[in-house]
Amino acid sequence: MSRFKHGWWLLALAIFIAYPLVETNPAYTTIGIFTLIFMACATSWNMFSGYSGYVNLGSAVFYGSGAYTMALFANHLHMAGNGDLFWLVPLGGVVASIIAIPVGLVALRVRRHTFVVITIAIFFVFQLSAINFSFTGGTSGMQLPFIPWFITNYNVPFYYVALGIVVFAALLSAVVRRSRFGLQLLAIRDDEDRAAGLGVRVFAVKLTGFALSAFAVGMGGALYAMFIGQIYPQFVFDPIFDISIALMAIFGGLGTFIGPLLGALVLESTQQLLTLKYSNGSLYLIIFGGVFLIVILFMPQGVVVAIRDAWARRAARRDGRVTVGATVNPGATS
Amino acid sequence: MNGTALIHSIIDGILTGSVYALMATGLTLIFGVMNIINVAQGIFVILGAYLSYALSVHFGIDLFVGLAITIPTLFLVGIVVERVFLSRIKGPEKVVMSILVTYAISLVIEGILNMVFSVNYVELQAWYVDRSVRVFGYWLPYIYLLGFALAVVLLGALYFMLYRTRFGASVRASLADQTSAALVGINVKNVSTICFGIGIAVTAAGGMIYGATNAFNASSSYDLISRLLVIIVLGGMGSIGGALAAGVFMITVEDMVSVIWGPVWSSLTFFLILVIILSVRPQGIFGKLEARLA
Amino acid sequence: MNRRKELFRALGVTSVALATLFTLSTTSGASSSGTIAKGQPVLIGASLSLSGDFSADGTAFQQGYELWAADQNAKGGLLGHKIDLKIVSDASSATQVVTNYQDLISSDHVNLTFGPFSSLLTLPAAKAVSRYGYAMVEGAGGAPSVFQAGLTNVFDSALPVASGLVPFAQWIASLPKSQRPKTIAYVTSTDPFTEPQIPVAEKIIKAAGVKTVYYKTFPAEATDYTPIADAVASANAQVVILGSVDVPTVSAFMQAFEQAHYNPKAFIATAGPDQGAAFTKAVGLANADGMMVPNAWFGGSKNAQSEKMVAEYIKKYGGTAADVNADVAEAYSVGQVITAAVKATGGFDNTKIIKYLHSGVTIQSVLGPVKFNSLGENIKPTAFTFQWQGSNFVEVNPATDPGATKILYPKPAWKN
Repeated sequence: MSRFKHGWWLLALAIFIAYPLVETNPAYTTIGIFTLIFMACATSWNMFSGYSGYVNLGSAVFYGSGAYTMALFANHLHMAGNGDLFWLVPLGGVVASIIAIPVGLVALRVRRHTFVVITIAIFFVFQLSAINFSFTGGTSGMQLPFIPWFITNYNVPFYYVALGIVVFAALLSAVVRRSRFGLQLLAIRDDEDRAAGLGVRVFAVKLTGFALSAFAVGMGGALYAMFIGQIYPQFVFDPIFDISIALMAIFGGLGTFIGPLLGALVLESTQQLLTLKYSNGSLYLIIFGGVFLIVILFMPQGVVVAIRDAWARRAARRDGRVTVGATVNPGATS
Repeated sequence: MNGTALIHSIIDGILTGSVYALMATGLTLIFGVMNIINVAQGIFVILGAYLSYALSVHFGIDLFVGLAITIPTLFLVGIVVERVFLSRIKGPEKVVMSILVTYAISLVIEGILNMVFSVNYVELQAWYVDRSVRVFGYWLPYIYLLGFALAVVLLGALYFMLYRTRFGASVRASLADQTSAALVGINVKNVSTICFGIGIAVTAAGGMIYGATNAFNASSSYDLISRLLVIIVLGGMGSIGGALAAGVFMITVEDMVSVIWGPVWSSLTFFLILVIILSVRPQGIFGKLEARLA
Repeated sequence: MNRRKELFRALGVTSVALATLFTLSTTSGASSSGTIAKGQPVLIGASLSLSGDFSADGTAFQQGYELWAADQNAKGGLLGHKIDLKIVSDASSATQVVTNYQDLISSDHVNLTFGPFSSLLTLPAAKAVSRYGYAMVEGAGGAPSVFQAGLTNVFDSALPVASGLVPFAQWIASLPKSQRPKTIAYVTSTDPFTEPQIPVAEKIIKAAGVKTVYYKTFPAEATDYTPIADAVASANAQVVILGSVDVPTVSAFMQAFEQAHYNPKAFIATAGPDQGAAFTKAVGLANADGMMVPNAWFGGSKNAQSEKMVAEYIKKYGGTAADVNADVAEAYSVGQVITAAVKATGGFDNTKIIKYLHSGVTIQSVLGPVKFNSLGENIKPTAFTFQWQGSNFVEVNPATDPGATKILYPKPAWKN
């Protein structure tokens, strides 16, 4: 069973590895890169918010910090426009995690619903600081060294680095999920006071989870900056980003392992394709909002769990068993 | 910077802050009674502004007269939204789910508003929008004074309803403790629906004043909701008095910072104040320690 | 058991999503051979913001591009090839603009690319396009950062942003001491289009002994300008320079100044008053009197090519010369630059086009002469100052220009 399961994961990975080899149109590998970045971010987001129940609507703080880390270091170290810049991607993750500590020290002192609001406020503090302070280049943003690769070679390395970040984020999420630490996060989600009563050092656990979840998001931001070659505060500290990755995770299944990966894969690639082919932002908002409304109201545990439950019910009917409480707790099985 | 400018900014802040206080009161009332964080409050304000806009441009109806139409309309919209969508949200993750549901609702409304009114900025027009009057040596726009008056009147009406009527008693009981309220025979479900309607209805008035003092389009709702959320958290979520005080306080501070250090720092200060205060007092300035957890 | 099925289904969704990506895409690879088969059209691609923050300008740019294509097609197209424009929308997003240009070149095989709207999007777009070896001629990416990127393929036919306020500043400095204002206030939105203009102007004006009494920036997303305008009014400067990007900002400041009963002797805004009817409708014609704006072009320009374009614009879209947005002319000039380059190089080879445009040649356009330096900046255009006088939008600066009307100074009082 276990070997078999890993086989499926390897097959999925193989498909992803093969994608840029089969699909050589840069417009579509670019969509692939953005989709992978969102998959990594949604998974990381879920690793903290999904497991602990603390919904973070300020993830762009980490994304933007990663992007500015890339730009600031590349400029101050006078780095040339070549593949060496990829070394700054993990640095973006490190800086994002370091920034997560003071942010967490403030934000995690409050209870869940206030946490949502304070993450939004902290997000604006970061965005407005990037606009107002001069070391970030203000509204003109920052340039990265231009990487003069011809287009046929340009996207592929970015794609594989993005895929590497996804694998990293997914492994981290899986390891956390199986660890004692992950169980403590879940205990906090179920009943924080009781978890504290049982001896879980809730604040330390939350802070660690928060900082860990920042890492891949910071790497994603750094990779974005390097790929686009130019950052502006409103594009890397983007409130839509905050909400998008939360929606992707919830769409797939909050707190499940595979949900955020699938949610980001489906939603981000669809959105990019729709805008590319139909260019109607307003219509997209209506459809997206409507579909999302249906998902939360009728499949509150996300698409993955809903499909699995439907499948389980069908199987149970077929086997002639009585279906009692087919709904499965997302935390219990994934 | 000079003293006159500083005093002027305080007056501006109190006058416009009262309108934010009105909009925030609706939001905090909804949270207090229903345990719902209504992220769509921002887009409802914009919807209210666009309704006033449509009435004044297409039918020549005065902005204030138009409120007689827009307030009941938004009240009904609120009732429908509550019954169709929000009443379905249950369970331990209710607060989080409510954020998502209301966010999805606001996306749909935003898309529709973009299609109907385009993304070009508009502003509400009336004679009192352009003119000003001299009060104690300061030129104050009529619309600021009228907005302040409207906010005071509506807040007064809300106060009367909450403290002088039987329905208000039910609301206050639900605010304090829903389970006990249900035990003494209050229909918490109906109270919730009506409160949501009221919470949305005030955005019609707030939206009209907002639209007359700001150029807006549908995406202005993001800035609005961020501010309103900060105000109600600072005031202590669910506390109506807190929302009032925090609304006026925050907008006044913002305007003062704008004069002292410059406008770019005022928004930053606005959000920074919340971060600083919450790291000292996690329950907000005016809030009681949160007994009811999310 | 449960888990395996879950994974199985997850994989199903994954493959469906990937399959969608595969099937939607067409064959790839750039095709910039430089020759087009006889009878085949020349395909030109551009991404414009047709929704989102810059949609008003994006639409004006589209009109300009289309007007040029129609004119050029009437003259037989480019080297005998009919021009087909392919314009896609980017919703003012940087990621989308990159994907759009890649798709235009890789999937649609456009032969040439025109620029997007706004400096924010020009850079990501120019970088993406340069990886194909394509030239990007654009008319709306004049922020200093665009030219500092070290790109060799970007050419901006419009006026470089930073020099916009220079003629106004020089005019202030040239006034006789008795008439010269004593104080000035600068207030600007945080925007890469407005911010770089102010220090250039301030340097000239300060040197002339005019005291800066207010110099502050306000966030681009601020919407209630009254408190900011009140603070400017209480500084009581004789001249106000407002760094604005659109009509609502200027309109709000004018309204707030009027409410504060503050009327500066001169009031110039970096953008807004140039929007023709959209501006006068928002502020009222009476209050527009005396308002100034810097620009490189206006509908009443005496340039013969420009007059022809304006006539055609009016024929196609209606209105008067004053209603023609400068964006239209900027977009049109992009087409003219490409026309000249294609004719001179005898083909559609982007490498040759880039080399030609860097050769120091001067091209005549609706904006006047265009000549690019090594960074791709247009070094030829004259910056003008325009002013509303009664119901006319006239050129007032530089005073040496034969077409200049006498400046209305001091600005008339607000009337309402």
